[in-house]
Amino acid sequence: MSCNSSVTRVNVSSVGQAQRVPVHLLPCEIEHNGPAQVSQYLTATTKDCKQEKMVSFRGRGLKGQELSCPQGYTGFVLKETNKAGSDQEDRTVKVSSVFDKLTYWNLETPPNSDDTVVMAMDWPELAEAIHGPVED
Amino acid sequence: MATKKKRMPNMQNDSWVVIAADSAIDTQKHDSEPAFVRLRNPVTDAASLYMLSDGDVQLFEVKAFEEDFHSWFVGQTVQRDGRLLFVTPMDPLYLMLPYLVKVGKEGKFQPLDQVVMDEDFPACPRLLSCTRALSSLHHIAEEKEVGGVKFHRYSQEKTMNWLKKKVERTVTVLKARNISVGEGVKSTTYIRVKSESDYHPEDFLRYAHGILSEYLSEDLSKALLKHLQLPELTSPKEPEPPSKKRKLSELPVEAEEDYTKFNSADFARKPPKKMTAAQKSLAKVDKTGMKSMSSFFSPKVKAEKK
Repeated sequence: MSCNSSVTRVNVSSVGQAQRVPVHLLPCEIEHNGPAQVSQYLTATTKDCKQEKMVSFRGRGLKGQELSCPQGYTGFVLKETNKAGSDQEDRTVKVSSVFDKLTYWNLETPPNSDDTVVMAMDWPELAEAIHGPVED
Repeated sequence: MATKKKRMPNMQNDSWVVIAADSAIDTQKHDSEPAFVRLRNPVTDAASLYMLSDGDVQLFEVKAFEEDFHSWFVGQTVQRDGRLLFVTPMDPLYLMLPYLVKVGKEGKFQPLDQVVMDEDFPACPRLLSCTRALSSLHHIAEEKEVGGVKFHRYSQEKTMNWLKKKVERTVTVLKARNISVGEGVKSTTYIRVKSESDYHPEDFLRYAHGILSEYLSEDLSKALLKHLQLPELTSPKEPEPPSKKRKLSELPVEAEEDYTKFNSADFARKPPKKMTAAQKSLAKVDKTGMKSMSSFFSPKVKAEKK
């Protein structure tokens, strides 16, 4: 049997223990997974002016903006609890964090409505047009 | 010769940032257990990731929205994988169509459970437990009942009418959201426009057709084009997808420390074309079996099958 038979279950009851945390999308790849002093070095020095946020991150000027999840949608961070030994085994992920807004950061460029992540928030509405039931 | 800093592959990724419909991950119903499953993608004919909610009542599409060089801060942690996954309700008929079409060539009425099955994809028959699968089947198939057993046969005519309604719904949203659909921007950039009057109505139709074609076999996509009375475009041989590696950017600097790569031989081979941020995001090739979020930004003549 191929790996197509394995399913990944979402343990929804773990939502009870999930924390609501601030979520930032950064315009750089950080080759690390693990703890970081985000509030000390990013949040603490962030300046708010009008709709826009500014911060200096590693000497680079980042400009950002907060985005809400589309209506009827919730943000989750899913985490695999026990890593499966092979790709044929079923897997389980739990909800480790929940969010209803995120902050995305551009490098130098001010945030605007053509930013791809802003556009991405339109996807659920377009998906509803494509997938919603049609009348007879 | 300058050595290029190697980017280590992200091997131990065990965490994903997801925006999901409340109907998919219902935080009020703690005993529900939605699951990601692999099903045959009607376009690529290969595995893609979908989600079935508890009891298979509803099917969801999983799309990865991804840009080069992004990572997340989640609380006080770094998550290297900068993708954003969307889980949105999906019409199960799109995934059932290929099976019905295939069996329909024999012209016989068949019981559904003998049609919607796939030895490569054990989860396939679960599509039939989706509430919407059976209640909307009449949009794509004729039905006959003999002795309490229902039999179905694919109908191209019904399917085309159904898809046309889908196109019309999509056009409405495109117009309402001011999504730019004009010639020239349609395949690579995705920007908002001030007014829709700059566009020919055909632009919207063609764009919507392109979006729906993300769910249709090549044959059905062509048939739909005809049904919409849109002439086939002769031109687009798809442009070579730009290199997956670092791309030239209009930004003054990129957030990586190693400038020596600008001198390296590798850099010199890069396409000299400047790309917008949107183009960069579109250029990314998805490697995970999930469809790229950006695929809906790029309606065009179907990608050629490999």
